[in-house]
Amino acid sequence: MSNSVKTNSLSLWILDPLRPTAQYAREAFRPDGKVMAWFIPAGIGVALLVVSGVGWATNAKQFYFSYLVGWAFCLSLALGSLFFVLIHHLTKAKWSIVVRRIPEALIWSFPLLAILTIPILFGMHDLFHWTHHEIYDPASPQYDPILAGKQGYLNTTFFIIRLVVYFTAWTFIAHRLYTVSLRQDVDDDVSAGARMRKVSAVGLVLTAVTTAFASYDILMSLDPHWFSTIFGVYFFAASFLTAHALIALIVITIQRNRGLRGVITKEHFHDLGKMMFGFTVFWAYIAFSQYMLIWYGNLPEETLWYRHRLEHGWEYHSAALLVAHFIIPFWVLLPRAAKRSIPVMSFMAVWFLIMNWFDFHWIAMPVLHGDHAGFHWLDFTCWLGLFGVFLAFVMYRLGRHSLVPQNDPHLGKSLNFTNI
Amino acid sequence: MSEESNIASDQILPGHSGDGFVDEPPLVAGNLSFHDVTEMVSLHTEKKTPTAWLGAFALANVGLLLLGVMVAYLFWNGTGVWGLNNPVGWGYAIVNFVFWVGIGHAGTLISAILYLFRQQWRTAINRSAEAMTIFAVICALLFPGIHVGRVWVAYWMLPIPNQMEMWPQFKSPLLWDVFAVSVYFTVSLIFWYVGLVPDLATLRDRAKSGIRRRILGFLSMGWSGANRHWRNYEKAYLLLAALATPLVLSVHSVVSFDFAVSVIPGWHTTIFPPYFVAGAIFSGFAMVVTLLVVARKVYSLQNIITINHLEKMNIIILLTGTMVGFAYITEFFIAWYSGVEYEQYAFLNRATGPYAWAYWTMMTCNLVFPQFFWNKKLRRNIPFMFGLSIIVNIGMWFERFVITVTSLHRDYLPSSWDYYTPTWVDVLTLVGSFGLFFTLFLLFLRFAPMVAMAEVKLVMPESDPHYYDRAHAEPKSH
Repeated sequence: MSNSVKTNSLSLWILDPLRPTAQYAREAFRPDGKVMAWFIPAGIGVALLVVSGVGWATNAKQFYFSYLVGWAFCLSLALGSLFFVLIHHLTKAKWSIVVRRIPEALIWSFPLLAILTIPILFGMHDLFHWTHHEIYDPASPQYDPILAGKQGYLNTTFFIIRLVVYFTAWTFIAHRLYTVSLRQDVDDDVSAGARMRKVSAVGLVLTAVTTAFASYDILMSLDPHWFSTIFGVYFFAASFLTAHALIALIVITIQRNRGLRGVITKEHFHDLGKMMFGFTVFWAYIAFSQYMLIWYGNLPEETLWYRHRLEHGWEYHSAALLVAHFIIPFWVLLPRAAKRSIPVMSFMAVWFLIMNWFDFHWIAMPVLHGDHAGFHWLDFTCWLGLFGVFLAFVMYRLGRHSLVPQNDPHLGKSLNFTNI
Repeated sequence: MSEESNIASDQILPGHSGDGFVDEPPLVAGNLSFHDVTEMVSLHTEKKTPTAWLGAFALANVGLLLLGVMVAYLFWNGTGVWGLNNPVGWGYAIVNFVFWVGIGHAGTLISAILYLFRQQWRTAINRSAEAMTIFAVICALLFPGIHVGRVWVAYWMLPIPNQMEMWPQFKSPLLWDVFAVSVYFTVSLIFWYVGLVPDLATLRDRAKSGIRRRILGFLSMGWSGANRHWRNYEKAYLLLAALATPLVLSVHSVVSFDFAVSVIPGWHTTIFPPYFVAGAIFSGFAMVVTLLVVARKVYSLQNIITINHLEKMNIIILLTGTMVGFAYITEFFIAWYSGVEYEQYAFLNRATGPYAWAYWTMMTCNLVFPQFFWNKKLRRNIPFMFGLSIIVNIGMWFERFVITVTSLHRDYLPSSWDYYTPTWVDVLTLVGSFGLFFTLFLLFLRFAPMVAMAEVKLVMPESDPHYYDRAHAEPKSH
């Protein structure tokens, strides 16, 4: 442990737990101050959130649902990146070392996302049917014996406790991975790899369990009668896929601004593309398994959830999900040349980001608008507003440090990496 | 290859820790040369049949004979000789089927998925693991085949056009199984054989007798090691790996559909497909460890299948065991969360009912025991891993038993509840299936190169075209 890298003051801690280390970065890895135009997404994000605030004043319920979808979208990006870093440490992956700093910057989003949870807590009554008191009162006409049976898990206090536990776990793991890696940039500590691997082993178990339960709490319990054991895997598949898309997109943005050129090459894009291709198929496999088994079993308590998504216009959303989240990306990304083409990769990265939001919108919105499908303007302002702020924080962090873990002992292998 | 030059490479100072030439332990130990590898592997197919092998083969044949007798007895008498009763219409046969298909998955994961993920350590174990896959799938295919009752019309499982215009039920996952498993078997066999070709040619070139040379010459399809041969071979290998990768997931997913499409509590749950796949890989790796711990010792292959290889497999066992354990807990939690009393009862009954002993055996073997592998010393301890790999396979057999039997024995009508007990025919058929498996595996060990020689050589440092230049310039490196 070196003392050369200072921790940040508490107020800036949610931005970045460490003071800037970019001055120690070698020439080719140094972020250009202008490159990291974090204020553009920040400005757009804040403006859109202010506009969304107007929507909150006029249609609070719609605001909360739109906000939840946008927030879950940002959370999935951070969690997907956390899985990326954990898995690449555990498998001692070499090819990905040059891109690792991007997901490392993404995983420090958990403190920000924890703060952005606050509006959801105010909207609990609008969002989650299980927070209504009358459904637990046997004397009330709204009494719901099934939900009453779930009250031990689905209650506001326990929900908040769980959120605290999730975010504490994620922040703790992210803090270790982020600070150890950044400190290595400066002090060239050879033991950093082993330490990060150690954190990753425990961290993977912890992250997997908390991610699954978080997905039940945040998205599945919107329809509190419905249940599906595969839901956590579905959320993981979506998150992991989209994290790769965002990593590729950030790299492309940095390269357009003359950073990291010749450091991250087509070879690395090829691998990111393979992962995107593989995980869009994996997502489809999980989505199909969930749908097919519920459709085939045809039990009313399960099929109702899909029934809501197959009528009043939602059937078009369901079909679009199949076509645009699986079939189109499958054929586009299948050829080798596509994964090595920067224009195709940037197009598909944006595509996957939109599809991930569309997917969560499809999960959440029929609860609010079961009788008519479609989008509300708040859906877009909340989503892009939150994403803008989220991205601004990420770009800000990236601008303060070397863009590559420059003292990773295997960096040479990653720089010279080629697909056979 | 790369269109852009890596301008950043000169940002790395030679001798600095980032230079990328950090020494990693070589995959092949003992300073072996290419020739040593060829000798060590080929020798066992060329020497005189060892007595120990004959002893083992005789024992396996006894098992095979037992299987034959049991199957004949079954055919003569019908499935009434099994312990099946009214609510429990699926017993040992389905349990054994799922158990054996699951075993197979490790081989395909090693040969296909680990190949795509550039895990070079796979080369030492992929040949034997793929052989295990093929033999395990053969054992698996046996069980549904003999379960049909009227075996003489077992071919009705296939959609063969006929004058009665009679077709199999395409809506049945059992038919999907026929397709999934037979595709899996075919692709695995082709993949395995393609990988074998260069090694068979090596054996052909070493053959002393004419007949041996002719047989191996036929099987190696004129392989001469020419540049064009290697080019085609690498392409075929990559394509087959890409085709086999979805099969690793699809086969056991379809097997899980056999259960999950029903509306039986404990069977009908959406996590089944990925959970079955994780379990299959878990049990398959345990079987690979069981087999290779013995084989590497008997055939003195410790320098090729090193302790590091075994440790990596044990890490996969730890990972997949924990995944399976988490799936058990998820099922349990969601059964409670669902608010469906039948679901809740099915799981409570598993844990506390008449089959609680089987449930807790499964939990202990699959979730608790693999956790010992967090300890590096234990993951590298050969007697310990051997014992644990057997425990895992016992646990995974029990998992299928728990799923199949506990969900059936108490159905919606309490008046029809019953307790399933296997008969001696059930038990001896299971024992006999091991006889079939080991007969095939021993034949493989005797007659085929049990390590992919060509692939192992490819991951040795000497395969780098500049290896000797560098060795000359800096005698220290490697």
